[in-house]
Formats: sequence, C-alpha cells, structure tokens
Amino acid sequence: MVKVFAPADALYGLEELLLVAGKLLDEEISPRTVRLYATQGLIDRPGKEGRSAVYGHRHLLQLVLVRALARRGLSLSAIAPFCVLADADLEQQLEQLDGEGAAAAAPSVATGNEALRYLRDLSGTSDDADAAGGDSLSFARKAAAMGSVLGMLNKPLSSRSRSDRTPTGSRSSDNGSRWLRFTLAPGIEVHVRDSVLPPPAGPRRQQWLQHLLDRLNALLDDASR
Amino acid sequence: MTRPTLRFRPLRPAVASDRPSTLDLLLTITPPPLPAAASLRERPPLNLALVIDRSGSMGGTKLSYARKAARFLAGELTGRDRLAIVSFDNEVQIVVPLRPVADPQPFIAAINTIHSGGSTALFDGWRAGATQVAEHLDPAAMNRVLLLSDGQANHGLTDTDQIAAKVAGLTQRGISTSAFGLGDDFDEDLMGAMAAAGDGTLAHIETPSQLADLYASELQGLTSTFGRRVSLGLRGKHGAEVVDLLNDLTPTGAGNHQLPNLRAGQELNVGLQLELPAWSPNQEILSVRLAWEAPGSGDRQSLIEHLHLPVMESEELKQLEPDDAVAEQLALLRANRERRRVITELDRGDVLSASASLGKLFGDLSAMPATPRLTRELNLLSDKLALLKSDPNRSRKNLRRESQRSSLNVWESDDEQT
Repeated sequence: MVKVFAPADALYGLEELLLVAGKLLDEEISPRTVRLYATQGLIDRPGKEGRSAVYGHRHLLQLVLVRALARRGLSLSAIAPFCVLADADLEQQLEQLDGEGAAAAAPSVATGNEALRYLRDLSGTSDDADAAGGDSLSFARKAAAMGSVLGMLNKPLSSRSRSDRTPTGSRSSDNGSRWLRFTLAPGIEVHVRDSVLPPPAGPRRQQWLQHLLDRLNALLDDASR
Repeated sequence: MTRPTLRFRPLRPAVASDRPSTLDLLLTITPPPLPAAASLRERPPLNLALVIDRSGSMGGTKLSYARKAARFLAGELTGRDRLAIVSFDNEVQIVVPLRPVADPQPFIAAINTIHSGGSTALFDGWRAGATQVAEHLDPAAMNRVLLLSDGQANHGLTDTDQIAAKVAGLTQRGISTSAFGLGDDFDEDLMGAMAAAGDGTLAHIETPSQLADLYASELQGLTSTFGRRVSLGLRGKHGAEVVDLLNDLTPTGAGNHQLPNLRAGQELNVGLQLELPAWSPNQEILSVRLAWEAPGSGDRQSLIEHLHLPVMESEELKQLEPDDAVAEQLALLRANRERRRVITELDRGDVLSASASLGKLFGDLSAMPATPRLTRELNLLSDKLALLKSDPNRSRKNLRRESQRSSLNVWESDDEQT
C-alpha cells in the first residue's frame, strides 16, 4: 500500500508555476499575465533565489483563483479583495468555485481537453442526461497533488540535503496497524503497512517497484486532471 | 474598442404618473459593423466538422447535392482553417479527420466516396464530429459542428431533451453546433433544439440545391461573429415588473436569457411588456445587462443600460402617437410566438383551431400600416395557411422554423427574403 503526502511547501520557478496552474485550469497562462497580476497586487511578490523569482503554494493558489474568477467574468478589481485572504481561505474559495461546477457558472473559456473529456464521458453514458459533467477533485486538492510532483522535480534526489537522506524507514502506528515510513525526498514519503512484504532484492523487486511506479503515475495523472 | 449598442425603443415615449401603466418596449441590439480593414485574412480561423447524414433516405439527389455543397465548403476554407468530414447512418464514418484545408482536393476526393446506407444515428454522428473539433479546439477560432440531416434520429440516443442537454454542455466548453434539416422528413423540433442549445444556426432546406448558399451564409456568419454565448439580463426597478418577453429565449443561469450570436450588421430585437405602478419622475424603470464572449478571447464582456422615461398624466399619455417602427417589430415578434400556439394546436390534431389562429394572426397583421416587412410576413402566413390543408407536416416544419426567428439565428434563403 502506497500513499503520497503532499505538503504545501513546494517552490516553483516561473515556468513551473505556469505549468502547474495551467494544468489545474486547463488553459495556458503567459508569464506576462503573472507579472501583470503581481504588479496589480493580485499575487504576492515572488521571493528571490539569486536573480530568479521563486513562487510558493500561496502564489499558486492566488494565480488559480484569479484566473478562475476572471473566467467567470469578474473584473480584476472585483477579484482583488479575495487575493489578500489567508491560504486556507483561498483554498476554500477555490473549493466553492469548484462546487459550482460548469453547469452553474459556465466558465467562459473551455479548452480542448475539457471539451474532449466531456465528449468521451458522453460516449460511456449516452443515456445519462447529466450535461454538466465535471471533475470531482477540487482545485485545492489537485493543487496539493501537483505540488508534490513539482516538489519532486524541483529537488532531484541528488541535490537533497543530508538530513533528508534517511536510508532506513521509521515506524509509525495508525489505527492499530503498523506502517513503515520512507522519506524519498523532502516532502515525499511512502508509507508501507508492515504486513506487506517487499520482494527480496533482484528482478522480482524491480518488477514490484515498476508496478508501484506505474500505479503512482496513473494516480498523478488522475490528480492532475 | 468597438462595442454593441443597446437602444430602448418604447412604443410610447412616456409612462403614467397618476395610475399604473403598461409599457411596451423594444430592445434593439446593434453589433458594431465589421471594421473596414477586416479582410478575409483577418477573420478568426474556423475549426469545423461537417456531419452529413447518409442514411438510406438521403440517397440520390439529396446526397449528391450534399456532396457538392461539402466540396464547396472545403473550397471556401483556407490553410488557416481546419475541417473534418463525418458521415453517419447507423454507423459513423470519419470521412476526413480534422486537418488544415491547405488543399481542398483530398477533401473533395473523400467526399465523393460518401454513399447512402442504413438508419440514422444522428447523435453518434454529432458526437463524432464534435470530437474531431475538440481534438484541435482552439479558443481563438470559431469551433463549430455543422450537422446536416434529412431524417428522424432512430438509432442510438434519440430523445430531443437529452440530446439538447448534451449539445448545451459542449457549447459551454467552447464548441457550438448548427443544425440543418433537409427535405420533408427531418425532425424540426430536434434540429431546432440542437441549434438553440448549440448557440448556432438553424436552417430548414426544402431543396438540396440551397445547400451551397446555406454554407456560404454560415461561413459569412461565423466570420462576422462579434459575440457568442450572448446573455441578456432584465431587472425591473422600483416596482416595475417585466410581465412578458415576446421572444422565446432559452433561460440561462441567474434569471438571464440566451440570445443568438451577435453578428456584424445584424440587429437583434427583443420585445418586452412591463407593468408599472404610478411612476415618479427620474426613477429608473429597468436595467438591462448584455454579456457576450468575443471570439478569440476567453473574457466575457458586458454592457449595462438603464431605462428612464418622462412621466405624464395617463390621459395625456393616451394621446401620444405610437412609434410605427416599434409597433411593427413588436407585431412580428408576437406573430412568431403565435406560431408556437398554432403548432400546439396542430400537435393536438386540432387543425381547425390551428387554421383559425393563423387566420386571426393574418387579420391582425393586415390591419397594420403596410410595410415591405409586414407584407412579407403576411405572405409567409398565408402560405402556411394554405399548406395546412395540402401538407400539414410541411406547414408545421415551416411554422416551427419561423417561430424560432426571434430566439435563434435562422437561415433564410434569398428567395424567401425577396
């Protein structure tokens, strides 16, 4: 059994921020848009790492919220008051937007992926009159899931700090069952119930790991949808 | 930036100060003209799927014209545009997958291979065409499915409401749908519902030779589209209440209504009736919000106008001459709506009442001052009245189409306009 925990401490460069937000929103966002929002105070000023800008979870939430509201026809000045909210409130705003769904608010920009997914859903359930369709995952949850992926990309294993390089798992107890906890990278953990016996080192273990990797891949794809 | 204008045109230019009054009002929405510099090169790219019914009933002349018109369409597009050709009977065939129309020859060759066959899987055909468009959906382009059918959907999903709901779902995701019915046997209610839900054009074509004209007009309409997914919000103020909306507009969320696409050079008229209590001067009567999405940008734009009118005593108000142009437009809108009643009577099998209703409508309109437009309308009505006896099915089809002129872009051939 594998679980991925995604803390909200991922850091992004501008490119990565655009990529993650773009995936969440199903639209392409240009660097100019982000700079514009930053100069208008809709997004906090980015941090600096050397000469390049560094963005965090809050920036991502702000960007996604501004775009999502703008697509619903709100002017930037109407959106501004939301952007200064605390992170938890930003997430809540996004959750509520999600809950409205396509049927209620009809985002003005529909993207190919969305239209295509909609049509594919139609083929599976051609007797189902639900025209709204839509995703069950909230923006905030998708953001969290995507954050974990970016965290991995951001901090490749080779550059992780020494303290994170804990080769042995630690044990924890959860609801009476015992779990092995492995830290793979900062912010990325794998939990394995102790009743699960990993195969011994060798081809079978490689096969087992490959299987888990495929599964993880699929879950990440689902989460980013 | 150019924007549409919204004009308030009251039948009488005042409201009563001493007692409740009724206000007949026309809203006229005028999209800005195409900028003179807008050459063909600057139009938004088109991303189209042409979905052609090839069920058995299309065999012979109809299909040969449908092929000819499809070849014409391919010839009119450029390398910036994408086109897919899909045909369906009980099975769907992707004749040409969506691709840029750099050279129309491959399209023409493929179109010539379409032959007629089985039953009518209309929904599956639509979905296949839509999927072609969706795979290259371009927010900067006009993305549309053109559905041509001569028959009743009798294979796969066939329920009108369900199909319309699915078409509406796709409209929200950026792909519109136009529905073209050909001949005497197509399902006018289904095609009308699809075009309404699809934010597209509705056409009824009696003879297949009109197809090329229709496609030309559709291309022209697509390239001159100023706003799509247009919504109209009406809010009576200070006790004024909108009691009647003459157009048959699809409700959207939040008490608003869907209008047809805004096209350069094409005015839209919306007829309203309001009930007002005794009115005080300088009080706002109505606020109207028009919102639309400009092709090529995801942002919704909007325009809000507020109506104020002078007040006077009701006796004085009665003396005011009504505005003839407004009276004419309101009468035409009422005539469209009255057709819906005639259809209801026909569907009950009550041809007598239907004829009587049509006759009364004809009488009401003929009592008005003659104008070219009214004369044309009277001709349309008398045609339908005659058809009720000889060919009630065709009469119903035409009545349905004409009734939707105030809520949809409905194609009319040049013969009908003159």
